Amino acid sequence: MMNIWENIRWDIIVDYLPFFLKGALVTIGMSLAGVLFGLALGLLIGIGKMSPIAIARLPFIWYVNFFRGTPLFVQILLIHFGLMPIFMTPVNPIASGVVALSLNSAAYIAEIFRAGIKSIDKGQAEAAHSLGMNKLQVMWYVVLPQAFKRMVPPLGNEFIVLLKDSSLAAVIAAPELLYWGRAAQGEYYRVWEPYLTVALIYLILTLTLTYLLNYLERRLDTE
Amino acid sequence: MISVQNLKKSFGELEVLKDISVEVNPQEVVVVIGPSGSGKSTFLRCLNLMESITDGQVLIEGKDLTDKQTNINEIRTEVGMVFQQFNLFPHKTVLDNITLAMTVVRKWNKREAEEKALKLLEKVGLKEKAQVYPDSLSGGQKQRVAIARALGMEPKIMLFDEPTSALDPEMVGEVLEVMKQLAKEGMTMVVVTHEMGFAREVGDRVIFMDEGYIVEENEPEEIFGNPQNERTKAFLSKVL
Ligand SMILES: Nc1ncnc2c1ncn2[C@@H]1O[C@H](COP(=O)(O)OP(=O)(O)OP(=O)(O)O)[C@@H](O)[C@H]1O
Ligand SMILES: [Mg+2]
Repeated sequence: MMNIWENIRWDIIVDYLPFFLKGALVTIGMSLAGVLFGLALGLLIGIGKMSPIAIARLPFIWYVNFFRGTPLFVQILLIHFGLMPIFMTPVNPIASGVVALSLNSAAYIAEIFRAGIKSIDKGQAEAAHSLGMNKLQVMWYVVLPQAFKRMVPPLGNEFIVLLKDSSLAAVIAAPELLYWGRAAQGEYYRVWEPYLTVALIYLILTLTLTYLLNYLERRLDTE
Repeated sequence: MISVQNLKKSFGELEVLKDISVEVNPQEVVVVIGPSGSGKSTFLRCLNLMESITDGQVLIEGKDLTDKQTNINEIRTEVGMVFQQFNLFPHKTVLDNITLAMTVVRKWNKREAEEKALKLLEKVGLKEKAQVYPDSLSGGQKQRVAIARALGMEPKIMLFDEPTSALDPEMVGEVLEVMKQLAKEGMTMVVVTHEMGFAREVGDRVIFMDEGYIVEENEPEEIFGNPQNERTKAFLSKVL
């Protein structure tokens, strides 16, 4: 045990720490952008999936099927090397990462959104309708505020998953946290120092997020 | 005030209302009784289009509910409904439960709506609960708030679907008392209930439904004292 501790090359960590921190910022930025775009797109897809017309639901159902049923890794490759070159050259890997994370999280968020709305007792919408509210008013004033509360925990969970999965963007050279870990490993031919440091930073990020989400949940609970 | 002609309602293959015709006059209190599954709730819910009408006609103050031109939401502001399960909005205070539709649908300003809401809360004896959330109320209190909420729209007709069935026995009285008061003030009411005492005391007319038909319809003394139909007799012998 003593031996391992003595053999750690702290200089690698010190050397790369600024890059790790910069990478962590990119990681946070990409996941945040992913979850925000995913939220907007997910709401639309969730609504689309609840359409009363069966044929109108179909594209949304298949969107969700595709993005939940195939690996994010494959999606990132398809988007970076297939989709993005249509829109930009050269392709910015961070942009590819954000697009992939957004499209992917939208599928999960659509389901969270749908489940949240469905979990609200039918009597709530009925009572609101019986008072003369139209569909939009019922949604906005009665169903969504209640559904939102129930959506916070699974949405938080999705954010944490996204934050970790954003590490897959390292393979398309998006300069996020793991990318710098790989860079350090390549430069020094050392495994433990860069990857353990990177793992520790991910852990700090996810635990902080968990803490913030728990706080938010408690706040919403007492409201 | 309410005119129902040959109303039929099916859920898919299941025909729940088979041929209902009935008139309700202004200020009248009509009580609907009948066994479980006979279509009482469905009938009531057709009166404010909470259920679509399969066939026949329902006129509310002369407005045809089956007419595509009729604005459903406008009708619903005229026809209040009280549910067995109260259905209060848990994320809103008692006061906001009442003022929500007043401000959003009626477009009254907040001050005006709150004044009216407080008067209604006073009427149902819950003024001091204005700022609490529904969670902290007893069942009886919840139902009284729900009544106040429906009254907030200043409806001309009130529909009650078993308003006391979900309540502990000791709370039934306080809700019936509010309904009695409402009847006394001249509200037109259609009430589905198992409270035969209420039917007898407050009802102007009792309708007995069975298997999607109105089997018998008469003044309370007649229905309870001298039922004509065998099925009415059988039902009453069970519940009285
Ligand atoms: N949304 C629905 N879809 C399918 N069937 C329904 C629906 N609502 C009611 N029914 C059926 O219609 C019939 C009449 O139901 P309804 O609720 O009107 O009866 P009820 O007289 O109010 O009974 P209860 O005293 O139990 O409340 C029942 O057989 C019921 O299962
Ligand atoms: Mg019923």
